[in-house]
Amino acid sequence: MAYRRAALVGLVILALALPFLFSASRFYAFILGVTYLYILWSSGMNLLSGFTGLMPLMYAGLAGVGAYTTVNLVMKFGVSFWLAMPAGALAAALVGVVLGLPSLRLRGFYFTLSGLVIQTALTMLFVYIPQFTGGDTGISQIPPPLISLPGDRSFPLAGVWLEEALAVAALLTVYVVHRVTQSTLGKYLVAIREDDLLTEALGIGVTRYRVLAFFISSLFAGVGGAFYAHYVGFVSPRSFDVLTSLNIWLIVGFGGQGTILGPIVGAVILAPIPYLMQEFYLYKDIVYGSLIVFTTIFLPRGVYGSLLFHRRTRTSARGKSEAARS
Amino acid sequence: MTKVLDARGLNKSFGGVWALKDLSVDQAPGETLGMIGPNGSGKTTFINAVTGHLALDGGEVFLDGKTITGRKPHVIAQAGLIRTYQAVRVYAQLPVSENLRVAGLPHFRRLGFSDPLDGAEDLLVKLSLKEKTEAVAGSLTLFEQRRLELAMRLISRPKLIMLDEPVGGLNPGEIREMIQLLKGLRAECGLFVIEHTMKVIMELADRVVVLVSGEMIANGAPAAILQDANVIRQYLGAVRATSR
Repeated sequence: MAYRRAALVGLVILALALPFLFSASRFYAFILGVTYLYILWSSGMNLLSGFTGLMPLMYAGLAGVGAYTTVNLVMKFGVSFWLAMPAGALAAALVGVVLGLPSLRLRGFYFTLSGLVIQTALTMLFVYIPQFTGGDTGISQIPPPLISLPGDRSFPLAGVWLEEALAVAALLTVYVVHRVTQSTLGKYLVAIREDDLLTEALGIGVTRYRVLAFFISSLFAGVGGAFYAHYVGFVSPRSFDVLTSLNIWLIVGFGGQGTILGPIVGAVILAPIPYLMQEFYLYKDIVYGSLIVFTTIFLPRGVYGSLLFHRRTRTSARGKSEAARS
Repeated sequence: MTKVLDARGLNKSFGGVWALKDLSVDQAPGETLGMIGPNGSGKTTFINAVTGHLALDGGEVFLDGKTITGRKPHVIAQAGLIRTYQAVRVYAQLPVSENLRVAGLPHFRRLGFSDPLDGAEDLLVKLSLKEKTEAVAGSLTLFEQRRLELAMRLISRPKLIMLDEPVGGLNPGEIREMIQLLKGLRAECGLFVIEHTMKVIMELADRVVVLVSGEMIANGAPAAILQDANVIRQYLGAVRATSR
């Protein structure tokens, strides 16, 4: 236990120290920031895809709702980013639940399919309301979040400090998801994933808890969207299309669905690839694809998920042989 | 005295075929009710309909005098009517203790306990699963899984458990043990048992309902049912004919 706590503290310190270590190069620091964003997004999605067994293909669309809400509040109404971001997250979660409510009664494939429909509708909506989204052109020159100081002064949260903010946001997300999975709700979600009919028969209101998980997961989609917009500085409907949803899902699956550290491992390995291999753009997708095929075949539980599984089976096998000896 | 279960005039049809036809079944407190009938006679449909897994076309269901008609399965389970499935169903990936925890969580507050695993210890001992507490449920034998299923129902302190073929897939020795186990439970809660095996029904049930094509063709003490000419012609006779 002490060893695990030390590893955890080390990881937090590392996450907070990395932006400073990378600050010499804006390029690498940016890749780090994007990786933090993907840790946030994939951890949030993991609550649904990994722990509840529902694959939310509309995840990026909801991130878009969060992003556009926040950007509009900040740029048109002069609302502080720190107020607009939670509002954007709430908007994403509410839109998600309202649109998703009919589909949350569905299971497996049908939920995934209805997610695709919702995602497509949202992408089209983003194109067709240019007064809020800039249409296909998108919105550029989105300012970084402002930090106000006493005495009417404020300074933009840019560069390394914005990456610090992303690190904190990612860590908080991982922490919240961890706490949810440890709670009664978390036990219900795993039970629903394993056998929803049995769970309902045992006296657990499956639909209600699915909606709750969907709401929480969508909140993180929105938070990530808001940070994405104000970090990258540019958003267009393509930032939040179905490919983004699939990318986040791949990160979750690659790292290990239904584990806390899986999405982190997945994001750290996969998120930098498109940027690091920009000069080899011909091979970029090949590397990306090969990694995913390799993982699917040899590590079907994901990189971290497989590690966890082998460790668990080893200890349980050891436990058995010890029990047999005694 | 209030019936623990009172189903009145249940109707259910699937595309013009009656699965349940004006079926009324009631069960007194402390009584163990058996239900038999050929394949497709509507036994499982009856459990599905009563426990809220299937919407009825007509009829009313009362549990302990209160209506549960049209309620969702989890609400009915909270009210004290809980079921098992014909094919054994446990959380195969989770340890036995976690299976019990999930089963206890939605009920322990209502029951006034401070812990979802309140009483789990006794249940595990009673059902001879104590040694398996930390084992993954999927690694248990079928008989052990059947007992775990029972424990997961009993932890909610139900008024009535509806068992859909509780000895399905068990060998004769295990069937004998299961009958003894179920007999031991009769003091705690009502049992409703669907079975194909006459031996189980004869030993366990105080009263038997015979279903054919969704209709009740007989209702009485097990010994009387065995002698019932109508039952022999429509059900038992068929069994004998096929077993020959």
